[in-house]
Amino acid sequence: MIKFLALLKILLINTFGISALRSKASKNRLAYLKILGLGLAIVAGIAPTIGLYSKLLWEGYDLLAPIGQEGAIITLGMVLVSSMIFFFGIFYVINLFYLAGDAQSLLALPLRGWQVLGARFTVVLCYEYLTELPFLLPPIIVFGIKSSASPIYWIYSLFGFLLIPLLPLGLATIPTVILMRFANLGRRKDLFKILGGLIAIVLAVGLQFVFQKSGPNVMDPAFVQNLLTDPNGLMNLISRVFPSTQYLGLALVNADNATGFFNLLLFTGLSLLAVILAWEVGDKLYFKGLVGSSETNARRKKLTSSDYKRLVTGSPALLSYCIKELRLLIRTPIYFINCVLTNILIPVLLIIPFWLQSRNETGPMPWDGLLSNPEGSIIVVAAVVGIAVFLNATNAITATSLSREGKEFFISKYIPLSFQKQIQAKLISGYILGGLGTILLLIAANVLIPLNIAINGSILAVGLVAIIPTIETGLLIDIFHPKLDWDNEQKAVKQNLNVIWSMLASILIGGCIIYTVIRFFHTLAAAAAFMFGGFGLLAWVLYYWLMTRGVEYYQKLEG
Amino acid sequence: MIEISGVSKAYNRGAIKAVDGVNLIIKNGEIFGFLGPNGAGKTTLIKMITGILNADEGSIKINNKDIGKDPLEAKMQFGFVPDDPNIFTRLTGLEYLNFMADMYKVPSPIRLERMQTLLQRFEMSTAAGDLIQSYSHGMRQKIMVIGALLHNPPVWILDEPMTGLDPRSSFDLKEMMREHADAGNTVFFSTHVLDVAEKICDRLAIINKGRVILCGSMEEIHQHARENQSLENLFLEMTEND
Repeated sequence: MIKFLALLKILLINTFGISALRSKASKNRLAYLKILGLGLAIVAGIAPTIGLYSKLLWEGYDLLAPIGQEGAIITLGMVLVSSMIFFFGIFYVINLFYLAGDAQSLLALPLRGWQVLGARFTVVLCYEYLTELPFLLPPIIVFGIKSSASPIYWIYSLFGFLLIPLLPLGLATIPTVILMRFANLGRRKDLFKILGGLIAIVLAVGLQFVFQKSGPNVMDPAFVQNLLTDPNGLMNLISRVFPSTQYLGLALVNADNATGFFNLLLFTGLSLLAVILAWEVGDKLYFKGLVGSSETNARRKKLTSSDYKRLVTGSPALLSYCIKELRLLIRTPIYFINCVLTNILIPVLLIIPFWLQSRNETGPMPWDGLLSNPEGSIIVVAAVVGIAVFLNATNAITATSLSREGKEFFISKYIPLSFQKQIQAKLISGYILGGLGTILLLIAANVLIPLNIAINGSILAVGLVAIIPTIETGLLIDIFHPKLDWDNEQKAVKQNLNVIWSMLASILIGGCIIYTVIRFFHTLAAAAAFMFGGFGLLAWVLYYWLMTRGVEYYQKLEG
Repeated sequence: MIEISGVSKAYNRGAIKAVDGVNLIIKNGEIFGFLGPNGAGKTTLIKMITGILNADEGSIKINNKDIGKDPLEAKMQFGFVPDDPNIFTRLTGLEYLNFMADMYKVPSPIRLERMQTLLQRFEMSTAAGDLIQSYSHGMRQKIMVIGALLHNPPVWILDEPMTGLDPRSSFDLKEMMREHADAGNTVFFSTHVLDVAEKICDRLAIINKGRVILCGSMEEIHQHARENQSLENLFLEMTEND
């Protein structure tokens, strides 16, 4: 246990850059203020969304209280948080446990599997608490205030807050550790790591779907009647997405009686069981999945003249730089999983549960009838374009484009390729992957709802233009403030604030254009033309900015 | 030829002078060694010559092309081997060489012939198709050297090039440096090991705490060292690193 705690302390200090901050602060007292300012800026950035979320919960409580279903708002928060932690937990576990540069550095120390896995698990847990805050705090506070909850409710809430990530994170860890153990058997380990990650994500979504389908049919009248007459009917229905949350929900709603205490005990037991199981699996398999995982297969085959002729080909410098960017993105597992895969896989995964549901349900689907009027078509086009913009804002391809170079950035400075062309190559590589994601999204949308040619054409034309400003914004932010000083690839993409800034900026800009369209336009052609023009103009302005100020900044950057 | 005039570079808002008013002329036809203990300012100066860092003051010309004013033309004049060869490790050797050849616009037939020659000379032919990630430190160093020489640059700038090379490759590289200089070109390289410089340099400069404290032939340097106690101590430090 002492070894575990010592390791945990070091990992926390290293992961959250505490020593680096102390060292900076010793030279410059403003460093703490800078961090505080940054934190406040992030809070200010997400405050409107949290405000809206809290307002919805507040009104939702008023709406649900008369029929005795107000507990549903807490369960909603818990389900949201648990699903997110489960899904992102898989990414965290793959990144931090296996792909991070320092993952193997601990192998030489006299430590056991559970100690290393447990310490890393706890580090991820700390991240998850941060993720949890904006989603779970509002429903807990709203319910607490509206129901004039007793002190026991608040104590239970604190327990619940601390316990809730344990189960989804444990569930994310177990299949990943097992899969990674087998991914480490092959010769092409990078490829297997990527495949392992892929399977784990598909498995996660599959499990989610099984949970959802495990309950009764929501269209069954008897079920609906029962739902509304049972005091916790709606809460139980929502918790189907993540069944364990219903125990914590019941614990909070019944905080003042024995049912609450019993459910809290049950939830605590389940959460701890998940952790024990995950650590136990880790103790057996973690090191087996890690030892030798960085080995690279080499053929050392003498190349023939025809090999040389085939492999040695000249390309224009811009194209060559672009290909280099794409190769590094695709071949580096951390970049592939966080930048490429999210961009391509998420559209597909988002659609699958809806699609399966639409095949199984006999009743009408929410979107049926949407396409029969022009406003509906506008909403569909705007929604798909909005998702495309969001995906490009979150894929971090251009927002970490310079950051990913890290200590290799000096190469960009000494090669005889102008900074304009380097910027263009980075934009093109981001656009190729972003465009691919947009096309996949369109295909996925068609699987869900067959769309007519006009809608498909509008989505394609507008979508492929709409993602450009997002791609440019990311690159612009990264040029102005690249994170070049990192010791493992994970820090370049996962712990890079540029991604957050670029995401906020893109959502704001995209959101304004899409809102305007939905609010003020009544024909599809006019709406599509407005979006095309709006995003196109923005793309042109940002491109001009990149080619002027961006180039200036690039030139000043030092490797 | 490399002309360095009054070049300075400071960090921490001027508190630390990494390079302080350096003036040097490296002529065509010579191998010029740049010596100094660790942290003396060698790599900072090389980074300014190659355009990786911007000089605070002064100017640097490579074959009369100013790196500050005409960077692309100046960069075409030299081939650079960095001190850290751990780059682009997820590309194969050939992909890296192709990339460098594209950057320096080497025509396809010429690059093919040069790649084959250089890969053979550095005994890298069998590894060229593998990922750089699978290379040893020395092999990575060799692929960097080959990448820097592909466009047959008139000026070679090498930062600690012998580090990690096996004796055979080290010998080959020294021979190539000699051949290149004898053909009327310029070779500028840094080292913290006196012995390496002593054997191949026509002239050398010693840098310490950002300032060039001595520049001349090996004989002249030895003469000064005998007369100057502090220089002798510096010499000792560099010899100890041998």
